[in-house]
Amino acid sequence: MSTKKKVLLIDDDKDFLYATKLILEKGGYEVFLAEDGRRGVEMWKSVSPDLAIIDMMMETWGEGFEVLKKIRATDTGKETPLFMLSAVDLQGPYQSFEPPPEFPKVNKVLHKPVKADDLLGYIASALSK
Amino acid sequence: MMKAQRPLILIIDDEESLRDGCRQALEKSGYAVLTAGEGSEGIRIAREKTPEIAFIDLKMPGISGMEIIEILSKDIPDIVLIMITGYATIVSAVEAIQKGAYDYLPKPFSPDQLRTVARRGLDHRDLKIETRRLREEKERMERNFITFVSHEMRSPLVVIRQYIESLKTIAGDRFDKEVTDIISRCGRRIQRLEELIEHWLDLSKIENGTFAQKKEALWLCRIAAGIADEMAPACMNKGISLEINVPEDLPEIIGDEESLMRVFTNIIGNGIKYTPEGGKISFSAGCDDCYVSVNISDTGIGIPQDKLPFIFEPFFRVRGKEEREKGSGLGLTFCKKIMTSHGGEIEASSKEGEGTTFVLKFPTQSSYAGTYSRRPS
Repeated sequence: MSTKKKVLLIDDDKDFLYATKLILEKGGYEVFLAEDGRRGVEMWKSVSPDLAIIDMMMETWGEGFEVLKKIRATDTGKETPLFMLSAVDLQGPYQSFEPPPEFPKVNKVLHKPVKADDLLGYIASALSK
Repeated sequence: MMKAQRPLILIIDDEESLRDGCRQALEKSGYAVLTAGEGSEGIRIAREKTPEIAFIDLKMPGISGMEIIEILSKDIPDIVLIMITGYATIVSAVEAIQKGAYDYLPKPFSPDQLRTVARRGLDHRDLKIETRRLREEKERMERNFITFVSHEMRSPLVVIRQYIESLKTIAGDRFDKEVTDIISRCGRRIQRLEELIEHWLDLSKIENGTFAQKKEALWLCRIAAGIADEMAPACMNKGISLEINVPEDLPEIIGDEESLMRVFTNIIGNGIKYTPEGGKISFSAGCDDCYVSVNISDTGIGIPQDKLPFIFEPFFRVRGKEEREKGSGLGLTFCKKIMTSHGGEIEASSKEGEGTTFVLKFPTQSSYAGTYSRRPS
């Protein structure tokens, strides 16, 4: 029986998925990958991860925000930590990304590329709560 | 807008036999033809049906051909206007062309002549439309270029850096130090490439006016305090002293704090790079009637006189290739553009072996108001 925590990663860039998977596995997580939003939501329902990381800007099925809403709307998705990934320069106007009040909760916004230590640190702290 | 059917030609002539003759000749060649016996009817039909070509008789009762040409060339984009005239003189031809006609056809003419002129007119029209389409496409591409670059160039770099991050994570176990060193070096070079793209995007944004800059009153002494905080660690690391001397009673300047901070830290950063240990960088400010000026000087290696005029050019390197690793080569270009967008100036003077001084001049608020008050904001 594996006691590893499960992390779901949703991004339409295969290379980004693979590179990040290596880091997450090194951090001791069981990693699930989805290449688009539709598969991401399906996988969310079938594997019930402990945390999901969703790319904001994917080419298919609108934005990552749609995926976030759909996941938050599931029974298991109400309180699970959800991270969003952004390739937007966080030095600029998005630095203080504040989702609107009615928007489903985002636990952390990460800027691509994500430093391995930062990624593992944020996940560990989100999962320990 | 596109017409899939046969090209439509309008004939405006008061002579019925000529209208019928033209109609037959053109319909035989596959054109759709409309006719009008006088000017106002012709204009009404043209506005309603937007033909590709209109043949217009110059001399008619009522509105003259010349007037019709003038009206239609303004009203109907891309219409090809061809003047028909029994009194073809150079003078009338020139006048018609000045008013917007493409060509003229002297009476009497043969069906073949008519068809040739019509064909040529249509070709001209197609070419004109195509040219405009290409020009619009080009402009659209120029506008989207920045977005294109930021997405298409940055996303592969992001992925490579992510790979390097994962390599670093697993390398410790599997590779020796030499390999991990190489990985770190790759990471640094790629990060620098990302910075280069970032700086270059900033420059294009300044150029096309999409670089967000506020215009607010700024206290230089408050900015100077921020500079001291930001640059002190780097100076300390290199054993360089940083002296800041900005009088509190200096007039306010108008500008964007974030980009001006970048200008100042950029120049000070350069100073740190080229000033040996034990040196000094000073940041001081003063003013006269027209300008608030900031002086940033270092006791560094200096810039040769013959290189000084080029330092604000993109990618110019005072010391050539060996400097390539030190930055994007766009820092001072950025400073110059930001200063220009503030209505200010930037100048450098230097003596080799003694140091370099940058003088940045900002119009004072009163002179600024004088210069820009007529501009709509």
